[in-house]
Order: sequence, then C-alpha cells, then structure tokens
Amino acid sequence: MDSAIGEALVAFVFGSVVGLLVQRSRFCNTAALRDAILFKTYRNTKALLVAMMILTIGFTAFMTFGEGNPMHFDVGLNQVIGLFLFGIGMVLAGACTVSTWVKSGEGNVGAMWALLFTFIGMFLFSLVWSANYWPPASASMTGQLNLEALQLGYSNAATLQEKYGIPAVVFGVVQALVLYAIYWAIVRKENAQKIHHDEIAAQHAAAVAE
Amino acid sequence: MRKGYDRNMEFFKKTLDPMIALSAIAILDIFLFLLVGAWTVGGGETMMTGLFAQAVLGEETLARIPFWSLVFKPDASYWKIYISLGMLFGAFVGAVLSKEFYLRYPRRLSEWVLITIGGLLMGIGIRLAFVCNVSTFFGLTPEMNLGGYLSISGIIAGAWVGSMIYKKILEG
Repeated sequence: MDSAIGEALVAFVFGSVVGLLVQRSRFCNTAALRDAILFKTYRNTKALLVAMMILTIGFTAFMTFGEGNPMHFDVGLNQVIGLFLFGIGMVLAGACTVSTWVKSGEGNVGAMWALLFTFIGMFLFSLVWSANYWPPASASMTGQLNLEALQLGYSNAATLQEKYGIPAVVFGVVQALVLYAIYWAIVRKENAQKIHHDEIAAQHAAAVAE
Repeated sequence: MRKGYDRNMEFFKKTLDPMIALSAIAILDIFLFLLVGAWTVGGGETMMTGLFAQAVLGEETLARIPFWSLVFKPDASYWKIYISLGMLFGAFVGAVLSKEFYLRYPRRLSEWVLITIGGLLMGIGIRLAFVCNVSTFFGLTPEMNLGGYLSISGIIAGAWVGSMIYKKILEG
C-alpha cells in the first residue's frame, strides 16, 4: 500500500475493530501472563495462544511466497532487557499497550495516567539514547552478528527458508504445534484442577450431610 | 428487523468469549500484515510522543535530541498512530453501547504510584527493545523472528518479577 492516507485509514479501521473486540471480551495481555503466574487461571492465556497459532500459520504461509510485510530490524540483548522492564511495568500498571488504550476508551483515568507516563518514559529514553546511541538505529543495522553492539542480527521464517531451502510454512507448522502443546498442557492442568475442586466440594457436602 | 436489532444489541450485553475475539483479531492481523505490516502499538505511541514533544518544546529544541531525527522523525501520517486511535475509538463505542462507559479513578495513592512507575517502565522498555508486547506476540513471534523469542523470554521474566512485587503488595 503506497498512500499514507490509505495506510492510516486501514490502520484506523483495524484498530477500531480490535478496540471493540477487546472491550467486549475483556481480553488483557497482562492478565494472560500475570493470572497464569499468580492465580493459575488461564482464560486470557489460552486465547493468546490460539491467536498466535493462527498468526504463525497465516504469516509463514504468505512469507513462503514472499508476501506480507514482516518487521525488519536487528535484534539482540535490548529485546530481553526492554521487555523485562516492560513486563514488570505492565503488571504494576495493571495494563499493557492494548488495555491502556481500551480502558482509556471506557473512561478509566488510571489507564490514561499509565498512557501519559508511557509517553514520558519514551521521551526520557530518547534523551538517554541520544547520549549513548544504543541500541543501534535502523541506519546502522547490518543484519549480521554484531557482538560489540550486543546485536544478533536479523532472522525470521523467510530467512530460514532462504538458508535451508525449506518452505517457511513448514517452520510455521512446527511452531504452531509447539504452541498447541502448551495449550494442551494448560487444558489438562485445568481439567485436573476441576477434578480436584469437585472432589473437595463432594467431601465438603458429605461432611455437612453427616 | 426488530429481531436482527435485538441480536446485534446482544453483542453489547454479554461478555464475548476472548477465544472468539482473539481468533477474529488474528485473522484481521493477517490482512494487516499483507497490506502494511503486523499489529503493533509501541511504534505509534513513540511517534505520538515525538509529536507531543514537538508541540510542547518546539521543532528547534527537539532537533537537538538526535533520537528524534535518527530513529523517529515526528510524522503525523505514520500509520501506526492510527491503530492506537482506532482502539481508543472502538473501545469507546463498545463501552457506550454496552453502557459501560463511566469515569473511574484509582482509589488509593499507592495505585497512582504503581501506575506511574508501571507506565514509565513500559515506555522505557518499549523504546529500549524497539518492540512492545503486541509486536512480540502478534508480530515478531508468529513471523518466527529471533527478536520474538528474545522478547518473550524478557516479558515472561518481567511479568514474573512484577507478579511477585504485586503479590507482596497484596499481602502487605
């Protein structure tokens, strides 16, 4: 898509539908991780895994034929540290990038406050970056291993296809199966939890009857 | 006609199964991937930060901070901005039609403090990583980008540490 207005329009329509669906389903990415860790409940985690399975097959299928617009930049240690900080932040704020916008749309002033400080955090980072120039800007990315800058280069399903001559979608199917195995393990755990709860409830009911 | 209207309004009365919502979002994300690129939020937020900073500080002052010329040059036509604005709009429409829109505030000072720290960490983290949680789960990892796996390791470790802090606060 070439026109900036066209791109903005597509993005706005997409965002609107996403905002509506997330608002009506109460999906939350923070809850998908926090609830699984703290409360051993997986309502959001399972939905996230299903979405990732669909996306993996969809993206890699199109990447096999050179279609689509995959993200293109070097990755490295900054992804691990950055998302580590983000992970702490989202649990403390009780919202991630999606839910800050969605909850703001529902009139949640706390979410608007989180959004404001996300912007402030980004601006503060821009000052730090302007002093040390790390991680490297797009213009100085090489796509190759660059240990000095703690960068591992660029690789995805398309580069794997190029390197090994195996269609990208084959790698995608393998990843989707791994995601399904995680999903299946969660469902089994939930079933075991349910049986355990039912047993306790039955014991309790029997004790009350006696 | 009336039945159809009632059925449509049912959508705004019941909570939608997140599995259905996320499956629909995933299919739409594939279309977005084909047209412009996968769903992301952090990039648009950064551009908005640049535009706000430009409005407050002025173009000349912002030009003295290299980040805003080398990494993100403020540009109001950047498509990623409109994903966020769309989400705000869609959520507002959903909340109004389901009668769930009302102003709600954090009650305790401690909540304000946690949200402030959390917001700052999210902003710093997104920029340091070049990606947010959405790009991690709905873009990079499904593209099988190495950055997706690095980001997932980081976000799970961070969510675990955050959860432990949250637990301490709940217990304390």
